[in-house]
Amino acid sequence: MTSPSPLRGKSAIVGVGTAGLGEAPGFNAMDIQALAVRAALDDAGLSLTDVDGLFCANMSHTFPAISTVEYLGLNPRWIDGTNTGGSSFVAHALSATMALEAGLCDVALICYGATMRSGAGRMVPPAEQPAYEVPHGPRYPMTAYALAAARHMAQFGTTREQLAAVAVAARDWARLNPDAFERDPLSVEEVLASRMVMEPLSLRDCCLLTDGAGAIVMTRADRARDLAHKPAYFLGGGVASYNRAISEMPDLTSTAAKDSGKRAFTMAGLSQGDIDILQLYDAFTINVILFLEDLGFCPKGEGGAFVQDGRIAPGGALPVNTNGGGLSFCHPGMYGVFTLIEATRQLRGAAEARQVDKADTVLCHGNGITLSHQATAIFGSDNAL
Amino acid sequence: MSHTGQDTDPAVAPASGPDHEFQTHVADGKLWLQHCKDCDTAIFMPRVLCPSCASLALEWRPASGLGTIYSQATLRPRAKPGAPERPPHSVVLVDLDEGPRMMSHLPGVSPEDIHIGMRVRARIDGDTGSHLVAFFPEESQP
Ligand SMILES: [Zn+2]
Repeated sequence: MTSPSPLRGKSAIVGVGTAGLGEAPGFNAMDIQALAVRAALDDAGLSLTDVDGLFCANMSHTFPAISTVEYLGLNPRWIDGTNTGGSSFVAHALSATMALEAGLCDVALICYGATMRSGAGRMVPPAEQPAYEVPHGPRYPMTAYALAAARHMAQFGTTREQLAAVAVAARDWARLNPDAFERDPLSVEEVLASRMVMEPLSLRDCCLLTDGAGAIVMTRADRARDLAHKPAYFLGGGVASYNRAISEMPDLTSTAAKDSGKRAFTMAGLSQGDIDILQLYDAFTINVILFLEDLGFCPKGEGGAFVQDGRIAPGGALPVNTNGGGLSFCHPGMYGVFTLIEATRQLRGAAEARQVDKADTVLCHGNGITLSHQATAIFGSDNAL
Repeated sequence: MSHTGQDTDPAVAPASGPDHEFQTHVADGKLWLQHCKDCDTAIFMPRVLCPSCASLALEWRPASGLGTIYSQATLRPRAKPGAPERPPHSVVLVDLDEGPRMMSHLPGVSPEDIHIGMRVRARIDGDTGSHLVAFFPEESQP
């Protein structure tokens, strides 16, 4: 094996916070983002004046980082507003590690907030959409994921029942999470019987549309050890992207997660068998199947069979989306930051009813736009260092 | 020849933007695609350079118009109380015989009559300056 990356184990998540999960009427995106930031800083035992590095993205503001600086009264030395869609925050964990290790900042804040549910009442898409697709009547982002699902089904025989198994596993985890938006029992039959929205995806194949904000605080590993909680060490990360529009994607059954995952595993010096828990960006049920395959947890085309018998559900061999995911926990337009928050809670052993017994390594995977950008980050407890 | 930049070789720089050139070419009712003169790649969406080799030497050629449906997604609009029912709408991805893939739809064809692997032929719809490439089923299935 190649020598370990100089970034492995050099930073850690030391504070996490959420706010406005579900519905936050009367608040705007910046309001609940600020509440999540306060919660994350309180959790870390740090204050706003300690924050000197800011990483954020959203769809409601043209200049999210600058608006966040102003609202929070920050005076950061380092600002990264890279916007790759919902994957941004997982990618920010890698960027923040670089900035911390380079001495560009000492306390990195990664944050997001959105109030689409109580604001517009619908998914507010980005202003710029692919010009050669729009005249044909796509509904973003749903059409893109339905095209991927239809192709996966045609090429590999993946079934609607297998897609439904992803939604049911997410719901079974959400039932263990008091913060989850949807906690009623859900069966495969109910997913199949739910309203067909964008064939082959039914309503229960699609993520929630909620309000919500999340924030994490990262420091260098040496400082992390002196703070309140067990650090969630950054072990490796990677990003990959080939296209913006779904019609420009070379193979709809194979995402850039292949490359982002490989890069993250290489940096971490780990392989799939070393990972205890996965947090996969599940905007739609097909995502989980695609990412399990592309990240190397099962061969290409076998993701449907892999998930169908409860393997990723509570009590299964490979816990996936232990908070209930975007399908049942919350999904405020961009979900990536919540993968980092749940990873941290599991690594601390603080996930209560949904705590996984062996939780020393968690892989977080973020997906941006319409399968357009992929970001992977692996975190571990001190046992994994 | 319009002014396209200080450092671009005027021998290969396009006369106007590729979106405008696309609209001008397809006005004859046929699908046209850019081809790279250096690596022979067919290109869609229209660009000023070849995404395979970065060449600026692109030329417009009439395409066969033939392609195969690569995937299909069908919007099933929710019935709104008191409003007329809206029909389902299939969006497709078509793999052109020349290589590129494009999003499109099949006007007037029921989603049940569209399937992955089906052969289709392009037709140019829309008004001058906002033409789009639609498809219809190719009668002589191979
Ligand atoms: Zn070329």
